[in-house]
Amino acid sequence: MSDLNDSCACPPNNGISRRNFLRSSTVLASGIAALAASLAPLRELTNYTSMEQFMQKYYREMTPPEMEKVLERIAHEVERQYQIRPHVRDYKPMDGVEFVYCLNLTRCIGCRKCVHACVAENNQSCNPEIQYIRVLKMPHGSLDMEKGDHNYAPSSVPEKGFFYMPVQCQQCKNPPCVKVCPVKATWQEPDGITVIDYDWCIGCRYCEAACPYFARRFNFTRPSIPKERLNPNMSYLGNRPRKQGVMEKCHFCIQRTRAGKYPACLEVCPTGARKFGNILDPNSEVSSILRTKRVFIQLKEEIGTSPRFFYYFDV
Amino acid sequence: MSQSAMNGGFKKSLVLGGVTVSFLALAAGFFLDLWGHPTQSPLIPLVATNFINTATVRVSAGELIASGGDASGLDCYACHEKNKPLKLTFDAESNVILAKEHDDIVMGHGRHKRNNNCFNCHDDTNLEFLQTRDGHQVKLVDSPALCGSCHGPTYRDWEAGVHGRTSGYWKRDLGPIDRKVCTSCHDPHSPAFPGREPAPGPHLLHPIAKVSKERIR
Repeated sequence: MSDLNDSCACPPNNGISRRNFLRSSTVLASGIAALAASLAPLRELTNYTSMEQFMQKYYREMTPPEMEKVLERIAHEVERQYQIRPHVRDYKPMDGVEFVYCLNLTRCIGCRKCVHACVAENNQSCNPEIQYIRVLKMPHGSLDMEKGDHNYAPSSVPEKGFFYMPVQCQQCKNPPCVKVCPVKATWQEPDGITVIDYDWCIGCRYCEAACPYFARRFNFTRPSIPKERLNPNMSYLGNRPRKQGVMEKCHFCIQRTRAGKYPACLEVCPTGARKFGNILDPNSEVSSILRTKRVFIQLKEEIGTSPRFFYYFDV
Repeated sequence: MSQSAMNGGFKKSLVLGGVTVSFLALAAGFFLDLWGHPTQSPLIPLVATNFINTATVRVSAGELIASGGDASGLDCYACHEKNKPLKLTFDAESNVILAKEHDDIVMGHGRHKRNNNCFNCHDDTNLEFLQTRDGHQVKLVDSPALCGSCHGPTYRDWEAGVHGRTSGYWKRDLGPIDRKVCTSCHDPHSPAFPGREPAPGPHLLHPIAKVSKERIR
């Protein structure tokens, strides 16, 4: 600062003296360097939105060639991050198909295999943990959700005196989550699956608050998926890796079920408690369950959401 | 005039100098990591692969033969003599006494120990066959017909795809469906579905949340 006082001694001139120029440019350069150094934390920022993604159209307004471009972008991003080339597709609903899920509460033993098969199939984050299915341990003779416990950890299941009730997205016919979305990033498809456009979601979490089943999950941080567990069979509305700040939830394994396969949670269930199919086909398993079995509940049916997920009993 | 201009220049330098110093301090702070990073919650380990595989709890005779596995255990006449009637022996509590070659068999089919006779299901005239209660011979690999002769409603459900495990394609014209038979999940000698270790439950985001939950209880 002392040199500033010296500068006053200089004779005032209307131009810039060589000394003044050098002095002020040195100060300016060190100032800019200091600013750059103080912005160091920005270098750790890697999860930014690309321009293509920012300019992307709404899912339902995209033409097929535009969708092709988007799928290519997603495949490229996944490959860059995981060094695995995925097959990203946009599966469309089939005609004359409405999906329904039935779960046999007599058979479920609460082993939680469905929870983890779902995580592996749908590329859910492992750290922090995101799981679509919660298995509630409930005392016999009650359907009071308040008595449910999802943190049980005995050495062997099932435990005497309890039954187990897995809860996931109920794919409601009258979904409260869709009604509250301010940007229409979530909607119901013709085959009954409520989907989310992860590139359109703004992360306001209204839908999470609106869902009476605690079915929706929010990516508070950047999801981390171990490379060896990445499922390369991906779909746009389904299991492609999500980014920080968007909602996700069960979508009946859209990448499997719209290709005619069973969902992952059904295939892994050791007791065959889970049944899935097309309710519009009178010969499907779910049709015959709803016709012949004691279909006991649609969860919280009194609130009028009309789930496509039915719980039933054997006897 | 020149006095105020000099004062202005001094002030400007002072402000610029101050800004530079504060930027430098900020940079030094980041460099020395004065604020620290948010504490990482403990890493959640990957779930073991046995919790995500789709294998059935056991292998049925049909699957064993189809997969080319060791089916020597199904060859009854390697030990038994043909056309020689077998005589069962029972202990004081009327449990059937099994030869030590059949040690692996747990007799636990049905309650009250009443289903204690091997020939309720096996054909005593030809051990490679099973027999229904009305005397029909059934091949070992076609066991659902035998099971269904007692468990009618369950057999009806199984035929409709309502009981038992399925995998593959729900839409039959796109691909095959894989239906498991009774003995893929149930041990015919002790058919109650065995208990198993549950997969790990959800990890709580904050350990504190766990404590407070325990306190509430």
